[in-house]
Amino acid sequence: MTVSRLQSGSPPVRNAAYARLVAERNRFTVIMTITFLVLYFMLPILAGYNKPLMATKVFGNVTFGYVFAFLEFAMGWIMAAIYVVKARTFDRLAAEAQR
Amino acid sequence: MTLLLSAIIVAITLGITFWASRRNTSASDFYVAGGRISAPQNGIAIAGDYMSAASFLGITGLIALNGYDGFMYSVGWFIAYLTVLFIVAEPLRNLGKYTLADMLVYRLKDQRVRTYAAISTIVVSTFYMIAQVVGAGSLISLLSGGVIGAGLAIPLVGVLMIIYVVVGGMLATTWVQIIKAVLLMFATIVMTVLILSRFGWSFSSLLGAVEQRNGAEFLGAGVKYKNPIDLISLGLALVLGTAGLPHILVRFYTVPTAQDARKSVVWAMVLIGAFYVMTAFMGNAANVLVGKDTITRENAAGNMAAPLLAQALFGGAGTVGGEFGLAFVTAVAFATILAVVAGLTIAASTSFTHDIYKGVIRKGQATEREEFRVARLATVGVGVIAILLGLAAQTQNVAFLVALAFAIAASSNLPVILFTLFWRKFNATGAIWGIVGGILTCLALIAVSPNIRGIDPPEKTTGRHLVQAPAIFPLENPGIVSIPAGFLFAVLGTLVGAARRNEGAEQAFEEMQFRAYTGAGVDGTVAAHD
Repeated sequence: MTVSRLQSGSPPVRNAAYARLVAERNRFTVIMTITFLVLYFMLPILAGYNKPLMATKVFGNVTFGYVFAFLEFAMGWIMAAIYVVKARTFDRLAAEAQR
Repeated sequence: MTLLLSAIIVAITLGITFWASRRNTSASDFYVAGGRISAPQNGIAIAGDYMSAASFLGITGLIALNGYDGFMYSVGWFIAYLTVLFIVAEPLRNLGKYTLADMLVYRLKDQRVRTYAAISTIVVSTFYMIAQVVGAGSLISLLSGGVIGAGLAIPLVGVLMIIYVVVGGMLATTWVQIIKAVLLMFATIVMTVLILSRFGWSFSSLLGAVEQRNGAEFLGAGVKYKNPIDLISLGLALVLGTAGLPHILVRFYTVPTAQDARKSVVWAMVLIGAFYVMTAFMGNAANVLVGKDTITRENAAGNMAAPLLAQALFGGAGTVGGEFGLAFVTAVAFATILAVVAGLTIAASTSFTHDIYKGVIRKGQATEREEFRVARLATVGVGVIAILLGLAAQTQNVAFLVALAFAIAASSNLPVILFTLFWRKFNATGAIWGIVGGILTCLALIAVSPNIRGIDPPEKTTGRHLVQAPAIFPLENPGIVSIPAGFLFAVLGTLVGAARRNEGAEQAFEEMQFRAYTGAGVDGTVAAHD
């Protein structure tokens, strides 16, 4: 149990796969994070500043607000799925980076 | 019957706790179940950890009383998992550390950081815990018809949770959370199906009934939150706070690899998302089938909306079915609170034992047996503090304590985690300033906000503001100011600390990044902790 001790094994290897992993992963994370934050914050912003739109009925009595909120859930699941697929590439590059 | 069903659930979970206690042989078992929980198990446990009393009882009540505004909580709390999935889950698992403090010290090479990180963990967990303990207290006292008052119910819950954690450790806590999550999902699905069957399988006709009863504005935004900035501030705290919650972070140390950390977040997102979608049905149905007056008569904040809805769906008050529905949902809510509190207790006591006791007081010299003993003692200590604070806060609004925990986590832990992972120049001074600045800004703003200050009419006796004076800070949730402040303090501290030469810190960043991205030296091996 020496968790706090520095684990200075072999020095980190720097190869092409690692460089690609860092670049691709960072790019992916930044794009996805900005996308979901923008899409998410449209909900409280519209709810705050455009109440008539949120209360507009789209199907029967279902308002735009509810449709938008349910779409946020769909967005969350879809983005998670995209990430899972993309992560296979990251896993492969991570394995190569350690060779 | 309610008490009987609750007792059965408590008995089952205690049984698991004792089963798990025989498998707890090391400190690592106690903290993180030896890192051998599978991804689906961990995902369900994360969901169990997250769907707290605030979600199940709180959101249903908020929607029942305020319509659409209540549902905004559901969306924010769900979307928060994208932050966790994209940014924190895998790098944290890859680093193979027990706590937030371990990770910071590994990168920043400065033991001072350890204490501050541990304090932040304990502060956030404790605020979260008080709300749960108070919620459980009022649940029991309401259901026993006042026979068991909150003054007795709060210690009762506290003692149960201490037993779970001290005896069973993380393994038992995980299983309690899994069982609870399954029960909660089951109860929610059954209720949603019953609701839909009553409204011709149409969400539209449910909303139509809501409109008929409350008017059209109930279907749109703005019943509860008039000020748009309030909504945005709350959204920020919800979406960014989750990634800094210690009891959620600790769950990534219980799985063997980063792939498992990722898979567990995805599992959790499926469950949590489905659950929060169903809150839209439950809240609106409670409004129509139970009615605002009945809900507020039981509890002014709407916390009893879900149990009352179950009663109505299963046949109504006084019928056998109705009483069974009420008893079952209440028992599930009770199990929910116990499971969440156990998770929080583990996070707080791990942080105390591992970071403060072993890391700072004993300078890493503690033997495993000693550490294990202190961990159990710390659990009792954390439990007793939660009971005492819970008793002191029993008349306070619990929702504000939860929102406060999220705001503190987003303002202090999140900036430090992000900068540690991604900013080469970040240093120990920056970490300390970020943690302390974030917490203090948050607490100071809350202290002068409408949560604490306000002028109540003289005839009001329950839910009075603590300080009878106008609020200085207008927002209920300080997130929109305190989160940027946390980042700013971390940047300023880094600039101030840059003058101090810290040999090896830059190289440590390279080494940490390599590990965070690739999982080198951690993959598939629990022994990486040693």
